[in-house]
Amino acid sequence: MSNLSPVVQKETAELRRSRFWAAIRKDKLLYFMAIPGICYFILFHYVPMAGLYMAFIKYNIYKGFAASPWVGLANFEKLFSMYGFPEALRNTLIISAMKILIGFPLPIIFAIALNEINNKYFKKTVQTVVCLPHFISWIVVQGLLYTLLNTNSGVIVDICRLFGYDGKVINLLASKQHFQGLIVASDIWKTFGYGSILYIATITSIDQELYEAATIDGAGKLKQIWHVTLPGLRSTIVIMLIMRVGNILNAGFDQIYAISNDMVTEVAEILDTFVYKLGITRQDFSRATAAGMFKSVIGLVMVLITNWIVSKIDKDSALI
Amino acid sequence: MKKKPSEIVASVILHIIMVLLGLITLYPFWHVIMYSISDPVKAMGGGIFLWPKGFSTIGFDILFKTNQVYVAYGNSLFLLTVGTSFNVVFTALLAYPLSVHRFKGRSAITMMVFFTMLFSGGMIPSYLLVDALGLLDSLWALILPGAISAWNMLIMKNYFQSIPPSLEESASLDGATPLVTLIRIIVPVSMPVVATVALMYGVTHWNSYFNAVLYIYDQSKMTLPIYLRMLLSSTAMDQATQSGVSFDSAAITPETMKMATIVASVLPILVIYPFIQKYFVKGVMVGSIKG
Repeated sequence: MSNLSPVVQKETAELRRSRFWAAIRKDKLLYFMAIPGICYFILFHYVPMAGLYMAFIKYNIYKGFAASPWVGLANFEKLFSMYGFPEALRNTLIISAMKILIGFPLPIIFAIALNEINNKYFKKTVQTVVCLPHFISWIVVQGLLYTLLNTNSGVIVDICRLFGYDGKVINLLASKQHFQGLIVASDIWKTFGYGSILYIATITSIDQELYEAATIDGAGKLKQIWHVTLPGLRSTIVIMLIMRVGNILNAGFDQIYAISNDMVTEVAEILDTFVYKLGITRQDFSRATAAGMFKSVIGLVMVLITNWIVSKIDKDSALI
Repeated sequence: MKKKPSEIVASVILHIIMVLLGLITLYPFWHVIMYSISDPVKAMGGGIFLWPKGFSTIGFDILFKTNQVYVAYGNSLFLLTVGTSFNVVFTALLAYPLSVHRFKGRSAITMMVFFTMLFSGGMIPSYLLVDALGLLDSLWALILPGAISAWNMLIMKNYFQSIPPSLEESASLDGATPLVTLIRIIVPVSMPVVATVALMYGVTHWNSYFNAVLYIYDQSKMTLPIYLRMLLSSTAMDQATQSGVSFDSAAITPETMKMATIVASVLPILVIYPFIQKYFVKGVMVGSIKG
């Protein structure tokens, strides 16, 4: 284009611009339709992101946001050395890591196992049943856990007696040693059924001919799973794994808030509950925002790193 | 193909495991239901419940005389109906334009939406925003901030994209505006995804409680999960007493009240669930196309 005269270049640029606006005018009704949604995202998602600047000021309730002094990273420094923060971070990582290590493979294994069942009705019934816990709230789960584990009338007492244990039954809900395990177990109970639907759906879309070819080649069930089913699931697994690892700092706020109690705070406090107590209960907005920002930034970095690693291994499977 | 003995054994074990999984999933619900209709005193003895110990509906009698339960139920129903309608309408209104190929700025806006799934301002800025908008202590604080879920929107957009363009073209040839096309043609054809997305939003509304903890203080705006939580942490009998219900306190225990309340909040889901479950499975299959 640069070999054209400046006049022509200017006219071409203007032409492109007017075509651009003409295109928008033509579709203006589509734009009107999209405006509410766009406004929603800007208002409720991007405006709070701008609010992150609060992490860099020393919020003075009398001066308000505009006039409060800028303190740079001081809030973060104070935050990391603050009582409770390192523990919260530690608990978050431990619980999240356990949930990923144990809870991520289980729906996959379940989906593969369920696929081996031939009876359609049995399959559908099992699937329907195990998905049920997804649809109840964590408060209800807490109620169920209380029902089963309380030392007065809980089921656990009977089960212990059944196995011949006559001593005092510990209250698992208030036990520091068991709490994190309880969180992971109840999370798995609640999520593995629904989480497996995606994998089950993906498995059914695998070409049957691949299985037939494998059988002809003499592959038994296990070999078929390894060579046909798993590769077929690969891109789904990878995407889900990227998102899960990116979310590593989300240890399950709703769950922890519902199930934890004062006895187990030491092992139950996660970043989110810490932010909640700091920001809403103690109204320390600046530092709580700093903690929240820490979490969001690390989360984003984790997703990008995980995605980059995956794209190095297999370009097609990456998320971004 | 004749099955080898080892295959038969493996298959049997697999079936048994599946049945066990099903029982583990269902037993807690069964236990709670059985307890709630048992005689309170006999039930205190505890243990495994295969059937009720004695029979008594006293827990439910008291529960249904407690006013607060109806308040909480009403608020949750409001969220479910009004909230979900908002959700579906706004989500579809955004998903459709983004699914049209010639829509300028399509990829930019889609990226903008997708980014919100990876990064957010966090709890405090959102809370302060809701406060600044004057939505604090209003049920709208439970509807508006979550009006569109990026995930659900992308699912809908993907589905719309898979609709043959000829449908849309014939509509515009007939002189239909995009909005009319959306309502009259796209949505009826997309019922699976609309149903799925509506159900996902609906379940979120029915079960969400942290938002209510964060934004609502007025007891008259309490939602069902909040009510349940209150009950589980304090004594249900205190609640009943406060509501002016009179009962023979020797005949009822806090445990039974808790069980009755849990059943009351879970029962709607348990009942509707078998019917809606197939939509979810279909919906996840629909949404599993990578964006």
